[in-house]
Amino acid sequence: MPNPLPKLDTLQTVELAEGVEIRLRMAGPLIRGYAFMIDLLIKGAILMGVSMLFEMVSFISADTFGVGLMLLSWFFISWFYHVLFEYGKKGATPGKRAMKLRVVQPSGASITFGQAVIRNFMRFADAFPSIMIPGGGMVIPSYGFALTACLLTKRFQRLGDLAANTLVVYDRPYMPPGVPRETKLKALRPSVSLSKEEESALINFDDRAGTWSQERRVELTDYLVSLTGATGATGMNKVASMAQWLRENR
Amino acid sequence: MNRNTFEITNRPKWQEFSLLLDDQDKRSPTMDATHLPHLFRSVCNDLALAEHRRYGHQLCGELNELVIRGYKHMHSAPATSWAGMTYFLAVQFPQLVRKEWKLFWVCTLSFLIPYLILWISGRYEISWIQSILGASGMTSMSEMYGDTDTSVHLRAEYGSNFMMFCFYIWNNVRIDFQIFAGGILGGVGTIFFLVFNGIHIGASAGYVDYACSPEKFYSFVAGHSSFELIGMVIAGIAGMKMGMAVLHPGRLNRSDALIKGGKESLPFVYGAAFLTTLAAVIEGFWSAQPIAPSIKYTVGGAFWALLIAYFLFAGRRYRAT
Repeated sequence: MPNPLPKLDTLQTVELAEGVEIRLRMAGPLIRGYAFMIDLLIKGAILMGVSMLFEMVSFISADTFGVGLMLLSWFFISWFYHVLFEYGKKGATPGKRAMKLRVVQPSGASITFGQAVIRNFMRFADAFPSIMIPGGGMVIPSYGFALTACLLTKRFQRLGDLAANTLVVYDRPYMPPGVPRETKLKALRPSVSLSKEEESALINFDDRAGTWSQERRVELTDYLVSLTGATGATGMNKVASMAQWLRENR
Repeated sequence: MNRNTFEITNRPKWQEFSLLLDDQDKRSPTMDATHLPHLFRSVCNDLALAEHRRYGHQLCGELNELVIRGYKHMHSAPATSWAGMTYFLAVQFPQLVRKEWKLFWVCTLSFLIPYLILWISGRYEISWIQSILGASGMTSMSEMYGDTDTSVHLRAEYGSNFMMFCFYIWNNVRIDFQIFAGGILGGVGTIFFLVFNGIHIGASAGYVDYACSPEKFYSFVAGHSSFELIGMVIAGIAGMKMGMAVLHPGRLNRSDALIKGGKESLPFVYGAAFLTTLAAVIEGFWSAQPIAPSIKYTVGGAFWALLIAYFLFAGRRYRAT
């Protein structure tokens, strides 16, 4: 095909040093927003707990020791919570893990400590523009820059991702639900020779056929009347048999 | 070979590989992993074959996942060692700062010029400083460095040394990180924070000359000023490396330049955080001690001389890396 169809999915193909291509499924801004919210709640909860603990320490010892520890933990949580979790073995903060995401290099490998530092320190820039709540003096980071960058780049990268050369992907690649066929069909050789794309379309149809209703299957195979020479259930069975033939002979 | 025989022949190998990876994910792996690389390459081969022969989503997806999991184990970054960190501080870091001497001066002057303007302006016209510090800023400056009684321990009313040390970490290291992060906005954020700090610190110094006890102020800042100011300038270099990657990518395209800029700015981020942490230690535990100002000035001067010598001479004998 001289002009391949534009891609509709969020899969990115990456070639590894081993010479093989893998597919990574990019995570969009919405699901990353959910993960961020969960992390925000966790960080808030930790800070609350730590504050209460150190307040008690200050109360008992009548010293400002507790205030110091509180400031220190505030500093570490706000700057290193994401860094340490993303550098860790799972490659994801608890929020990202809950959303089944992880941070990787474009090759799919785990990120280095330096990359974790860059992508998370850049959050400060990604969080712009801040929304000022009039009167209260509260400033809420809107993450507008991050969203804009995500929408303008092919791989949903915010500024921190661009600078650190990292991607946020789904931990497990998307697996279309497939239902194995109970009865073995008789193989049927396609009446014309098919291109590679057409062959894989037939096989993918048959892999997923179990997840659709009979009507839907027939509706789809009716388009293949020129290949099968039949419509309705007969046509559908013929397509399934051809897929079976392709499996056995290709 | 068709899809079914392919799957039947190779399935045991995939299962073995998957089990081995599960085991490696554990805290203390128990299985012998010496043939993991061999298995990994073999699974890579299977994936390539399956993709080429279009064996369908199910099989290709499964192999794809196996290869990604294997890749993560085969290509993980080596851990940093103490020796590496020492070498970084003793040799690489001063070398890198010398190499970026242009950006060093850009950042230094971005801070120094507004600082000097504000500081000197206090001798002629105090209203600039007054409007910058505001009423609350002036009150707190007077409380800290006022003429009242120089013998009073500075920390008596401002909390313990440890608390102040934590405060300086929280505040000053954070400022360094912000200076760095602001760089990605074309360097504007970096320059903004440097100029802002120059204005604010210059105004404070000018106000002390005007209304407080300069000796109290300068003997307080003498000890940690070298580490803190140079740390801030180095955070500025880190930010400007990012900024220059956006503004002037050279022969690279912008996204590659940004990645390169990010990598090259990291040593400066680490160095700035290190220097500013040292400054917080000194500021927390030394600067406010009731010690004669002459000793504080001597120590402060020695720190400045030491730090300048470090950046001028350390690591000269080693080849640049």
